[in-house]
Amino acid sequence: MTIQTSGYSGRRLVLIVDDQEINRELLGMILEDTYDLIFAENGQQALEIIRENKSMLSAILLDLMMPVMDGFETMENLRADEELRRIPVIVLTAEKSAELKSLQMGAVDFITKPFETHEVIQARVARIIELSEGRDLIQAAEREELTGLYTFIFFAEYAQQLVRYHPDWKMDALVLNIDRFHLLNDLHGRDYGDRVLRLLADEIQAFLEKTDGLACRADADLFYVYCRHQEDYEEILNAIQTGLSRQLGDVAHIRLRMGAYPSVDQKMEFELQMDRAKTACNMLRGNFAKAVMVYDDSLHEKELFNQSLVNGIQDAVDQKQFIVYFQPQYGIQADEPYLSSAEALVRWKHPEYGMVSPGTFIPLFESNGLISLVDNYVWREVAAQIRRWQEEFGITLPVSVNLSRIDLHDPALEEKLLGLLEENGLTPANLMLEVTESAYTDDADRMIAVVEHLRTLGFRIEMDDFGSGYSSLNMLSTMPIDVLKLDMKFIQNVQNEKDFRLIQLILDIADFLKVPVVAEGVENEEQCQMLKEAGCDLVQGYFFSKPVPPEEFARFFEDIRKE
Amino acid sequence: MTVQELYESIGGSYDSAKKILQMDKLISKFILKLLDDKSCENLMAAAAAQDAAGIFEGAHAMKGVCANLGLNSLSEAASAVAEEFRPGNSRSMEQGELDRRLADIKSQYGKTIAGIQAFASQQ
Repeated sequence: MTIQTSGYSGRRLVLIVDDQEINRELLGMILEDTYDLIFAENGQQALEIIRENKSMLSAILLDLMMPVMDGFETMENLRADEELRRIPVIVLTAEKSAELKSLQMGAVDFITKPFETHEVIQARVARIIELSEGRDLIQAAEREELTGLYTFIFFAEYAQQLVRYHPDWKMDALVLNIDRFHLLNDLHGRDYGDRVLRLLADEIQAFLEKTDGLACRADADLFYVYCRHQEDYEEILNAIQTGLSRQLGDVAHIRLRMGAYPSVDQKMEFELQMDRAKTACNMLRGNFAKAVMVYDDSLHEKELFNQSLVNGIQDAVDQKQFIVYFQPQYGIQADEPYLSSAEALVRWKHPEYGMVSPGTFIPLFESNGLISLVDNYVWREVAAQIRRWQEEFGITLPVSVNLSRIDLHDPALEEKLLGLLEENGLTPANLMLEVTESAYTDDADRMIAVVEHLRTLGFRIEMDDFGSGYSSLNMLSTMPIDVLKLDMKFIQNVQNEKDFRLIQLILDIADFLKVPVVAEGVENEEQCQMLKEAGCDLVQGYFFSKPVPPEEFARFFEDIRKE
Repeated sequence: MTVQELYESIGGSYDSAKKILQMDKLISKFILKLLDDKSCENLMAAAAAQDAAGIFEGAHAMKGVCANLGLNSLSEAASAVAEEFRPGNSRSMEQGELDRRLADIKSQYGKTIAGIQAFASQQ
């Protein structure tokens, strides 16, 4: 249903019904700037006008005391008609006692006589019209198109109704989701993805037939279920997965995840109940061993801990609780390894928790966008540090820093980076920008555009964690890069012929692209030697040094001086 | 005569009227309209015909119109009569008292109309 406007002027149409001319005039005067108006003197006239204009009327201002047909009788007539009853009626009355009856007859609001200020009346009418239009939109979308499940708003409404009727029932909040759903679309096409969603919805409905509850599709591949308490969630998920495979054949590539918040606390707001189940579900990301996660106290603890980290981030930046560590990168293709560059890694020395691992706070801040604060902080510290080393040792060491997905969306990114370089007398070649795959999958076109632009300015782009995900090759073929970073943790045993060939292969790709490769996580001489033979250019890892604070890093420069 | 002066002369509340209508020119416009308003006439006719429903409608209409115009004492006087004759209420006024009240309304109303007419002739 669309917003009603009276044809020619594009304004909404309002009917004013009052037997007193002065009231009609007054209200007319108050509303005529905003609305097109029709007037009636009594209920009978009003009904005629309403029937003629039913699809155009946005609101009716209705006096109660009128000859021929009064306000109550008019409302009775409106209520009896399916279409007419949807037009909001605002009652005009001097009698406070009429309010209850008016509400029972279907009025949505009152304007008391003597009339309040013009602004109040305008605001009330506008609000009523807005609410009623919103309600119509919602009514039109009780079920969502693709799967036939409820939309979230209706799901929430009906779920809460269910609880009101059965306060003694123990309810579970479940969240289901498909792991890496966007890849399903990428690899098999949107139609296939849609079909999977529909079939999944069918399986969920099948499950609900055996118990009391309801479900909705809250977002792309995010399904919410509210049902009577269940004992075995793995069994439920298995049944759903089995049902899917019956329809689709092999579904090994479709990994379902379920988060459960069992026997919900009814004192909690409904949205928060679903949030708990969602938190549990999100914990399963990247977990190949488990498919079901139940919300419990330890999760709650974790939530509180995460929240406290989020709350503390501004202080961390202001008080320099974040410390930038540097890990040296050595060139290995010469007779002797030589210091070539470094990678900046951030650490958090938290006043309460001590050293908080980046593995904890980085994914957290990436998920809520706060990572930008950390990244900006790191760039600033790194630029200043490069400058300091330049002054002290006469060497300008290139350092690589992280560029998160959020940073790529920052319209001031270029400004910030160039500004920092200028402040510290550096050039773009000194700051290497590390980009990870997760940034690519979200909005590839935009990312490519931003990266290309940065390269024209003289920045060099490093692709991090190559091979860790599905999109690496895709990314490589469409995005310009200058350095490839290979993580040795994907190569378990270099003695293994297969692993060696894999490294060789990756180095060949790099060669083809004419970019140098940095191997990360190199732990021993053996690996180093093997990489050298295979043609790898740079190496970073415990073999040379773990990441260290800048003061300690100075010794690497001193080593060079000595030579 | 300004609108404010008119109100003073007829014993109405200019402040009330200002609150509702907000602009002098609107107060002026609507107070002049009272000259065409039939609710008092209807009330008196209904009283003469001992038409209870008619008395209620007339008094109620008068009450509303006068309230909107800030003619509070007239509005209250009409209101008392309206309540007496509201369908569902039981009668408590004696005929004597009712007559007195109606006469009072008529008189106040007359004076108000006269004042407005004077104001009108100056516009």
